[in-house]
Amino acid sequence: MSRTARIFAGLFVGLIFIAALFPSLLAPGDPLAVNPSEAFQTPSLQHPFGTDESGRDVYTRVVHGTADSLTIGLAATALGMGIAILLGVMTAFGPRWIDSMILRLLEVLYAIPALLMALLIIAFTGPGTTPAIIAVGLSTAPGYSRLIRTHLRTLVNSEMFDAATVLGHSRWHKIRNHLIPNTLSTLLALITLGIGQAVIWASALSFLGLGTPPPAPEWGAMLANGRTYLHFAWWLTVFPGAAIVTIAAGATLLGRTATRSRI
Amino acid sequence: MRMASWLARRVGAAAFLLWVVATVIFIAIRMIPGDPAEAIMGGPGSQASAEALETAREQYHLNEPILVQYVLYLGQLITGDLGTSYAQQRPVAQIMAEMLPATLQLTLISLAIAWLIAFLMAAIAARSSRLGQAMGTVIEVVAAAVPHFWLGAMLIIIFSTWLGWLPAVDTGTVQGIILPALTLAIPLAGFLAQLMRDSLVTAMSSPFALAARARGASEGQVFFRHGFRHAALPALNLTGWAVATSISGAVVVEEVFARPGLGRSLLGAVLSRDMPMVTGIALFSALIYMVVMLLVEAVEAIINPAAARGHDV
Amino acid sequence: MPKLSSHLKILATAVIGGLALAGCGNTDSADGEATGEPQSGGTLTYASGDAEPDCLDPHYGGNYPQGLIATQYLETLFTKDEDGETIPWLADTSEVSDDGLTHTISVTDGITFHDGTPLTSEAIKANIEHLQDPETASSTGFLAVEKVEEIEIVDELTADLHLSAPDNALEESLSMHWTAIQSPEALDRDVQENCADPVGTGPFMVDSWEREQQINLVRNDDYVLPVESDRENAQAYLEGITWRMIPEAATRYAALQSGEVDVIDNAQPDTIQSAEDANIGHLDAPRPGASNRLELNSSQAPFDDAAVREAFMRSVDVDGGIEALYFDTAPRSHSLLSSVEPLGYSDDSLFSQDVEQANELLDEAGWTERDDDDVRMKDGERLEIVMPVSTNQSVPAEQSLFEQFQAQASEVGFDMQINLLDLSSWYAELSEHNYDLVSAPYTKVGPSVLRILYHSDSIEPAPSGYFANNAQVDIPELDETLVQAEETTDEDERAELYEQAQQTVLEGYYVLPLYDQQNHFLYSAEVQNMGETSAIAAPEYYNVWLDQ
Repeated sequence: MSRTARIFAGLFVGLIFIAALFPSLLAPGDPLAVNPSEAFQTPSLQHPFGTDESGRDVYTRVVHGTADSLTIGLAATALGMGIAILLGVMTAFGPRWIDSMILRLLEVLYAIPALLMALLIIAFTGPGTTPAIIAVGLSTAPGYSRLIRTHLRTLVNSEMFDAATVLGHSRWHKIRNHLIPNTLSTLLALITLGIGQAVIWASALSFLGLGTPPPAPEWGAMLANGRTYLHFAWWLTVFPGAAIVTIAAGATLLGRTATRSRI
Repeated sequence: MRMASWLARRVGAAAFLLWVVATVIFIAIRMIPGDPAEAIMGGPGSQASAEALETAREQYHLNEPILVQYVLYLGQLITGDLGTSYAQQRPVAQIMAEMLPATLQLTLISLAIAWLIAFLMAAIAARSSRLGQAMGTVIEVVAAAVPHFWLGAMLIIIFSTWLGWLPAVDTGTVQGIILPALTLAIPLAGFLAQLMRDSLVTAMSSPFALAARARGASEGQVFFRHGFRHAALPALNLTGWAVATSISGAVVVEEVFARPGLGRSLLGAVLSRDMPMVTGIALFSALIYMVVMLLVEAVEAIINPAAARGHDV
Repeated sequence: MPKLSSHLKILATAVIGGLALAGCGNTDSADGEATGEPQSGGTLTYASGDAEPDCLDPHYGGNYPQGLIATQYLETLFTKDEDGETIPWLADTSEVSDDGLTHTISVTDGITFHDGTPLTSEAIKANIEHLQDPETASSTGFLAVEKVEEIEIVDELTADLHLSAPDNALEESLSMHWTAIQSPEALDRDVQENCADPVGTGPFMVDSWEREQQINLVRNDDYVLPVESDRENAQAYLEGITWRMIPEAATRYAALQSGEVDVIDNAQPDTIQSAEDANIGHLDAPRPGASNRLELNSSQAPFDDAAVREAFMRSVDVDGGIEALYFDTAPRSHSLLSSVEPLGYSDDSLFSQDVEQANELLDEAGWTERDDDDVRMKDGERLEIVMPVSTNQSVPAEQSLFEQFQAQASEVGFDMQINLLDLSSWYAELSEHNYDLVSAPYTKVGPSVLRILYHSDSIEPAPSGYFANNAQVDIPELDETLVQAEETTDEDERAELYEQAQQTVLEGYYVLPLYDQQNHFLYSAEVQNMGETSAIAAPEYYNVWLDQ
């Protein structure tokens, strides 16, 4: 990662944080204010991202939706990753019986597809943001966990690790110099992927009519809402969609910057 | 002999897994507030008649003590009796037997396409310039971040409405499956490619790859003997996840392209709270997953015998 | 005093030679009218946006999607002509006794069901009893024939229907496909068997049902038109209809554009508007019965206060929203009834937006305090209103309209919550009274739908758990008017009583009318002669042919 890339990454993070914490600094308008007479306006100076079917300003909604969308992504990923790290480490380093037991448990979670899990949870709680977070978090956990476990296992058994042993390095040295950086890079890549994935699964729930209730400007809900008008009002899906992709891409690049600088 | 005991253990593990899934669902249905008979028949909104509720009570032995219910329920499952869908009034097993081929076809074709795209992308990116790599990253990240329903709608607009090359809905023909399969494959490919390339780049610049080069191995040899192996492993490990994701994705894709299949049945079942169907599909997807994982472990053992030996579970 | 007699049947015959069979929606085919002589042959592919019916027998339950498809293979005793008059169809004659308690109906001779059973008066008896049998689990049809106590066979073709009270809407009720006539022998089968393969007299028959994929209808080669016509051959032109379910609106329209399907329903407003340029025909067939409207739950706070109800209605901009979201495809309604109902009464003075007045009304009603979110309060209670919305029953444009109401109502201090629910949860919320306002479609032929929707008896849930009076209007005088309107034998009195009833409900601000229940169909240029509809405004394909 070059210096410029880091500066860009820093600016990007700063911008996201401002959008999430102080959206009104970037978009002073009201994201919920309707104005039917100004519906479906193409992007212009006045409405840089155009307006939606109720005449709401899409730019204002995208900016104000940052907090909602990011919360879903972060919370679901944190939940999934928290469970995953705990279980992954236990399986890789714990005694064999714990390993087997947790593996079985993971497979149960793993065997139920994410959306089915979400639908099952929603059958109890009703639709909304929280069940979406729990469902996405729970259903992504086994994937992370397995990957962490495999990664740790592979590393323990890898030629690289053997080479380090041959060279006479201590166990702690091996863990610090090889395991942590290698695991961290995989983890960061996964976390950054996961944030985007969580937002996307949440949008799938919105598509099925089971996600964040209206009129919240959550990106997934906006995307699902705008698809009705896809063939003539492209701006309704392109901008929230771009926001999701930007977050996912930005987070991935940041993850890379972080791992590269450690190695 | 080792093969036989390995298989026996796997089948045992599979049975255990199905038992847990079945038990969780059994408990879950009885935790829904209100009458479990009503819950099975679609919840309070379904307006099930008194007769229908009585039939459900009988069929699920709801008048018996809970432990008896549980044993009888497991007994039914063991004999392959998944109950009757209350919405369709047909045996769940029969409905799934009808719906499974379409979904399997879709997910397997998607999986194959996703692997192909991911591998090509990873291979190209790993051997190209910095700029090429950066572009590769952007393409992968964007692909992985595109929601199925939006991608599906875009593909329909481009290939069906504008170009007129492919049908927008399933017509039972080969052309009919291309757009749904691509919709399912593209995000998956983006995801797999990212994972593969990370490992590939690491592996290709690792000490053992350097050592191999120093020994005079060609770049191609290094790539296939070391790079590919390390790149494929984490992604291969994700095959089970990829199958599960594809089944999730199939819910959306089958809805978008109006394809019959398990995904669409599942959505319908959840929306109408058709608990026998939900149970059946949950157990079934668990079963599919386990079969896939068996295959994955076999392939894994071939690619990296050391890792497989290390944790022969 | 006979109300309907056989001379009406001749009137119907006169219409058949032209275009209209029964009702007729407005078509604006881009291709103009039929381009030449009708051609026989070809299978029409129909794509529906509705959920797949659980049962193809519309007696069972009785929702609109069932009516749409049953129109192709089942026929009714009566139907509507293009002026909205009820005319006999499978029935030959119909007479009402002076006390209004006995309807004598005879069926047309020489008609047979798809299974070969001849149509006789036994069929009337068997079908009405089937509707009243709890096993059938009928809801719409059950209510329609509620007053029939006993059916007495007079001769092979004639039956007497003895009623518990006079019912001048009975013929209208029997024009709906939820009460369509099926083969008595077929009805004897198991409920599920009949669901999969109902047997009627229509121009098409159910051939097979590939669940979650398609329903295949084939031409009934032995079809007999129950009325006279100048058609040389009584068979339908189409060899069959493939009935598919394509839930996603954009996919449905794309499939129509690319020629994979011939007709789609539940067309989105924006696609209707662009259809003209794309050489796609449009059939607008508003459903009869109630208009599409918001019902305000008057049984609980805050909408138990008429002033608060009016304040809500004054706070929202219905016209602006409809204009932006419906692209001129849905004219605003100010009536409780569909625009196709001749006895509908409108009053547009009641529903104009006036934010200032809304605020005044709320101030006067005591909602004067405000909390931190600027929501009005009274005695520590927030001005909260909850609206459950069934995603199965409303198109995206309608959900957007409700979102606009939400934003506009918040301007005057309402905290309006929209809960998007699946149908099953939505029913549950209604039956538990967890709603302050709701949009619940109700289709029935004729103004007697008003009794179902606004008589206090309809607050009591039916055995099925559903109650139709969602506004929970409970006015004894109104109840009396509605009952009288249904029992009178005098046409003018009937009209007057219904107008009075509608005035009472509208002026009490129980209901905010929006537009007709939308029923738009788009069809490709090959589809000719599209436009005839049944009494419930479902398109008929008897005279439709494909120009291939």
